[in-house]
Amino acid sequence: MKKIKIAAGIFWAILCLLLILVLFPGLNNFSSGISRFPFMKINPNLTGGEAAEQIVMKSCTLVVRKPVFDGLIGERKQGFVQIDWRGNLPEIISDTIDYDLDKKPDFVIRIGRSESSTVLKPLNPKVRKVGISTPTSYGWSARIKIEK
Amino acid sequence: MDETVNNPSMKKSFGKSLLYALPMFLITFVFITGGKPDFSDPAGTLAILATFLGMNILYFLMHYTGKTDKFRAIIFIVFALSLSFTLIRNMLEIRHSMSFSQADIVECKIPFCHLVIPMMILPAAFTKSIIFPGTILGGFANISSMAVLWLVATLVLGRGFCSWGCFYGGWDDGFSRLRKKPVIKKISDYWRWMPFAVLLMVAITAALSLTPTYCSWICPFKAVTEFEQVTGMESAAKAGVFISLFLGLVVILPVLTRKRTQCSFLCPLGAMNSLSNKITPFTVKIDKKACNECFKCVDVCPLFALTPEDVKNGKVSIFCSKCGKCVDACSRKAIHYGIKGIPAGSMKKFSRNIFLFVSFLFIAVFSSGAIITVIKSIFNLFI
Repeated sequence: MKKIKIAAGIFWAILCLLLILVLFPGLNNFSSGISRFPFMKINPNLTGGEAAEQIVMKSCTLVVRKPVFDGLIGERKQGFVQIDWRGNLPEIISDTIDYDLDKKPDFVIRIGRSESSTVLKPLNPKVRKVGISTPTSYGWSARIKIEK
Repeated sequence: MDETVNNPSMKKSFGKSLLYALPMFLITFVFITGGKPDFSDPAGTLAILATFLGMNILYFLMHYTGKTDKFRAIIFIVFALSLSFTLIRNMLEIRHSMSFSQADIVECKIPFCHLVIPMMILPAAFTKSIIFPGTILGGFANISSMAVLWLVATLVLGRGFCSWGCFYGGWDDGFSRLRKKPVIKKISDYWRWMPFAVLLMVAITAALSLTPTYCSWICPFKAVTEFEQVTGMESAAKAGVFISLFLGLVVILPVLTRKRTQCSFLCPLGAMNSLSNKITPFTVKIDKKACNECFKCVDVCPLFALTPEDVKNGKVSIFCSKCGKCVDACSRKAIHYGIKGIPAGSMKKFSRNIFLFVSFLFIAVFSSGAIITVIKSIFNLFI
């Protein structure tokens, strides 16, 4: 039994040695492999959710994303909807948004880019307040807090 | 007892040490240069050579002197400093600031670090998604690569990751070495369970809020890497917590206690890695026959991994990070690197040789990128 334990210990140690030897040369392959696991995607609370609608305007594109209510188990009562403006943006952005795609406007958002001001006018009682409103590498993004 | 008869020194002759260092020399050369050394950039070439030679000299000295910790600490501390430098430089180049903005969060551009891992597990299980605003693949410090590196290192080294792989541990390790003697000598061993409480707290809060709460509110290393832009009371409070914890647990307490207090009392990943010490083949063993219970090992252990009771029982606790400080301090060589299954006191040199090869190879290759970047930047100032 003692000899079996010693042999098993040495075998495990040598296996670990081999694992370290292949780790760095194979890192890209291992990383690609692990990235295919079903849980290897960023949570919508951080990405802002999938795009629901794209509206191409004169100089920019408005992207309305699907509302995010994701919680640990099921959905939360409070969430947000992310709006992206991509391209050459005007100095003042002013848009009326229908985030639930029911053909009725839900809120009006007005962003002054130079002074970084965001004014929200809710037209739907589910719309609460501005969460994030920030310039991005592609233009501007705003997250509006909403209720279910 | 004649310690030289029963407890052979780990020292080797010059020639034998060279022989043991040769495989590391060749493998690190291939891994660090990618097998295709590019000599077109003089500063880059010099930086690679300096890093490669420096590391291999340290590895050679580990064999030649039979000591581990002081040589490990050099690379470990340099790694921590270099990583912070590289990260800050990278952020200054990309964002012109050490802080990240809301846009970086919205665009999921935050570099991933292994401290997020304990918070990822529950949300990954329940929501099948990662609660960190980084990139899954590609880009700087992506989630997949860091997860693979941590997973393999933890499987192989257990909590040894905390002394041979963590790019933050070098900070409090460095500060804990500044004074020769501790000012605060008595700290209750119960504190070593604190990281488990932190782990539980951050795992639950992160799962409920679906945000990495430790990174958002606690992590002391935000002070030397990146932090949220201060735009209001909340972000100012966060910055205050980061700086206070960094000064308290990474600078002041390590200096006063000669212990790695952040790693011992706060780090949730350290708690998780402690559990992985049960899986790894490598361990630190106490040969009760050779031990005279001087408890020097208890005094020098930077992570409170050893208590007098542990020594009397001949078992090192799960908190051990295999740094080698106790091994080097033991004049009777009663405490030594071992492999599970091999009885304490047997095959000491064999066990140490395999452990050193594995752990050193990991830190050498893992740290090389950051160290090369720093040395290259220094050379660029002069060339």
